[in-house]
Amino acid sequence: MEKRKTILSGTLHLLKWILLLFLLSLALLPIVWLMISSLRTNLELQTSPFGWPRQFQWVNYSKALHMASLPRLLLNSVTVAALAVLINTLATSMASFILAREFFKGRDVLYTIFTAGVLIPVISFMVPYFSLITKSGLYNTLTALVLVYASVNIPVSIFLVTAFMKSIPKELEEAAIIDGCGFFKRFSTIILPLSRSGIVTAATFCFIYSWNEFVMAMLLTSSIESRTVQLGIKFFTSQFITDYAGMYAAVVITIIPSVVGYVLLHNKIIGGLTAGGVKG
Amino acid sequence: MKGKRFVVMALVLLIMVGLGAQGQKDPGVAKEVELRWASIWVGNDSKAPAVEELVAAYNAKNEGRIKVVIEPQPDYNAYEQKVRTSLAAGQVPADIFTIKLNPTTATFYQSNLLMDFNKVMDGAWKATFDAPSLAQSEIDGVLRSLPMETAILPLWFNMDLLKKVGVNEVPKTLDDMFATFDKLKAAGIAPTSQMTGDTNAWTSMIWFSHFAVALGGPNVWDKPFTDKAFVEAAKLIKRMITEYSTSDAVGLGAGGSGGHFLAGRTAVFSNGPWYAGRADLAATPFYDSIRIAGLPDAGPTKDFMISRLQANICAAATKDKAREEAIVDFLKFLTSKDSITKIAETSGAMFAIKTDFRPTVDLKRQFFIVAEGAKATASDLEAALGAEVTLEFAQQLGALALGRISAEEFCALVDRKIER
Amino acid sequence: MHIVGSNKKRIWLARILFLLPVSLLFFFFFIYPFLFTLYTSLTQWRGIGAMKFNGLANYGKLLADATFRKALKNNVVWALSQGFIQVPLACLVAMILVRKPRFWKALRTAYYLPNVISTVALAMVWVAIYNVKGPLNAILHALFGVEKLNWLGNPDVALFAVIFQTVIYIGYFMIILLAAAMNIPRSYYEAAEIDGAGTFRQEWHITLPMLRGTLVTTMTLAMAYGMRHFESTFLMTGGGPAYATTTMGIDLYLKMDALRYSEASTVGVILILMGTVVISLIRILFGTSDPMSETAQ
Repeated sequence: MEKRKTILSGTLHLLKWILLLFLLSLALLPIVWLMISSLRTNLELQTSPFGWPRQFQWVNYSKALHMASLPRLLLNSVTVAALAVLINTLATSMASFILAREFFKGRDVLYTIFTAGVLIPVISFMVPYFSLITKSGLYNTLTALVLVYASVNIPVSIFLVTAFMKSIPKELEEAAIIDGCGFFKRFSTIILPLSRSGIVTAATFCFIYSWNEFVMAMLLTSSIESRTVQLGIKFFTSQFITDYAGMYAAVVITIIPSVVGYVLLHNKIIGGLTAGGVKG
Repeated sequence: MKGKRFVVMALVLLIMVGLGAQGQKDPGVAKEVELRWASIWVGNDSKAPAVEELVAAYNAKNEGRIKVVIEPQPDYNAYEQKVRTSLAAGQVPADIFTIKLNPTTATFYQSNLLMDFNKVMDGAWKATFDAPSLAQSEIDGVLRSLPMETAILPLWFNMDLLKKVGVNEVPKTLDDMFATFDKLKAAGIAPTSQMTGDTNAWTSMIWFSHFAVALGGPNVWDKPFTDKAFVEAAKLIKRMITEYSTSDAVGLGAGGSGGHFLAGRTAVFSNGPWYAGRADLAATPFYDSIRIAGLPDAGPTKDFMISRLQANICAAATKDKAREEAIVDFLKFLTSKDSITKIAETSGAMFAIKTDFRPTVDLKRQFFIVAEGAKATASDLEAALGAEVTLEFAQQLGALALGRISAEEFCALVDRKIER
Repeated sequence: MHIVGSNKKRIWLARILFLLPVSLLFFFFFIYPFLFTLYTSLTQWRGIGAMKFNGLANYGKLLADATFRKALKNNVVWALSQGFIQVPLACLVAMILVRKPRFWKALRTAYYLPNVISTVALAMVWVAIYNVKGPLNAILHALFGVEKLNWLGNPDVALFAVIFQTVIYIGYFMIILLAAAMNIPRSYYEAAEIDGAGTFRQEWHITLPMLRGTLVTTMTLAMAYGMRHFESTFLMTGGGPAYATTTMGIDLYLKMDALRYSEASTVGVILILMGTVVISLIRILFGTSDPMSETAQ
């Protein structure tokens, strides 16, 4: 009996690790490939996509930094992503609080309308977005991108944050009300901290979107002062020729800040939260 | 307390964003006219350095009067999207920009936002352009774009590989060509780089255009797609894909098709002059052995070349006379013989403006020789019939090659997408 | 909650204040563009000139169009695969990681990585992997003697191939589920352990029920993304061969490319309507995610 149990748990253990490592290899494959490819020549890349560089082409990296003026674009991207995340999480956590913890007529309708936004293929909104931004005089500004990115992510954020806020046991809040906590205090001292991991998750997604977005950035900006890294990456793609090696070097450079940002957000904020565990 | 601070912060943020909206640049206090040029000739485009120099020289010469600002537009697809989006929103993307003129983009000619060059061009300026290209750019008496860059789309023969199987000349007839292909196949070399992927099946679309024009004449695109010339061309392209190409041709993209040729895995390729300017092509061992040619005689039409308008210049229509004059002045400068020669020298691109320039690099020079030697020219399928027809062509080409539809069915499907 | 007179007014004021920022942004960036799209779908418009009112003609034309119907079918496959394969898999991984096996933090970061890599680069990797002479065929042939397939060029398997590659984005949904799983009070498990419940029973009776709301959210998101899907497939296959991998998103893009703005808008509106139906179905099937009533029993 005991023995069979250990064999069973042993196999399960093995299966678990096979799954984890299979997914790990799938996740790491592109990044490893990208790093190797960024050190090859275009001819090598075009003729055999998988292979080791005959000679390390570090020049790709200096090209990437130079030609696409990456430092400036990185700064812009960080600014845009940070502000978009800030506005988005502030606005949606406030709204989600009402949608999750307050009762009033029409609440569910409001929630459904906001969240139905996840279905929208933003690309079909290009013409109205362009009109909106140019008519408000925001064309070619970082503000335009901040507003668009913060807004486009509203449905996802509301979805996530509301779900987290709803899962907070009612007793906690009731206890606070008995203690004489008002509306604002309930929000800031109970609901907000307890749904922190949900908000961080939403912030992560808003960040990923803002960092990777290209179509709107291309549409709504026209000069280096207000462009983001994704446009820098595309600088290696002209009408007929794509410098893949240089582009991949630029991609590798742009991945670094987003990974650092992720590790900071998650390991510090969520990590700190779960280390102590949430007391029910 | 904490809650209040939070709300205040949120409000302040919103107000800040609102203020940002006010921070608009107030248009030109000075008399200098600023022209924005949404340029695709930037980044690693081979025309970029020359264009940048020309604009700088122009700005220096016209200081205090006219200033041209280049707004760099990388990624051509996204650029096209930007052009059509802004026109749909009722605005010009910039004072000066370029389009690829075909039946789809010809829709832009209905827009009054674009300058009609017929109203501002004099005979002398017009005479500097290649007349057929200029005529092709005029629709219903309106000239809303000026032809600038052109291209021929010939076949490329890697003579090193042909010599390996004992063929020293570019084949003269279709039978010759197939005989050569059989020899290549026997030697384990894929004869051609076909593809059905992307949205235009680019290199195979060029082959198909050659076949269709050879069989149906330079005006073949005016015929219904169910015409015998197209059916026969479809049969030929199917044969090319299934018998004389790499095994991955169905679904392959332009990158893969070019990659095979660059790797020396395929002997015959098809593409425009820009491909000759690639650094990776120049790095191949067979760079000096490439021969550029038209299609071997395959039908009643012989010694023709497939060509297209690659980039036409558009300008914003304006009631402001000074502005209009500035645009015309700059475009006259840009399309002058000297400027075009300068751009051609460094890029190897071909233009609709007549110059005496001939490239010194053999491969690039061959393009000019082949273009001048052609007795007739005809458009390719995409330039002649537009985006939707080309998309259907590319999608159904896969089905044709896999034998899921016949050549007749293929042509009937494409025909349905042609607007008449 | 006892609310009296002026207090009630103040609470309403606070509620409105809290909803205001989102509502403003939502109006400008969703409601107005949606109305614009809805209107253009009822007109004949090629991006230039005046819109001609056209009634429901575009809808009829679209539903009769073979390409669109194919895209619609592909969209359903996309949505189902994302919701019912991707999310359960992500949930499984989250349930493993929440128990903090060795290297769990490193694994979590690694699974997140593909989400920040540009799609263009990823598409190039997958095109190379799926090539007839690529590594996938080599491995399958060596291991199982499988005949070499042109994964992206064969209309019978191309859709499967472009969907399969999304498995690398599993980290996206895993992050949500992991965050929710970590919020489950540890005391529940401790109590179960004392009762002698094994790992499986703990997962089945505690984790899964506690994650229900988040699972519904995640599935909805996954299916919505599946239906909106556009970029990576477009880069890999352009929607081909023979429209085998065309989604409604690709159809919409290509219609705009051909300056068929009203038809593109029609696709957009149908996409939104379809999605609303799917979201409602999920809610009916798995119950509304309102744990306010659930957890506070």
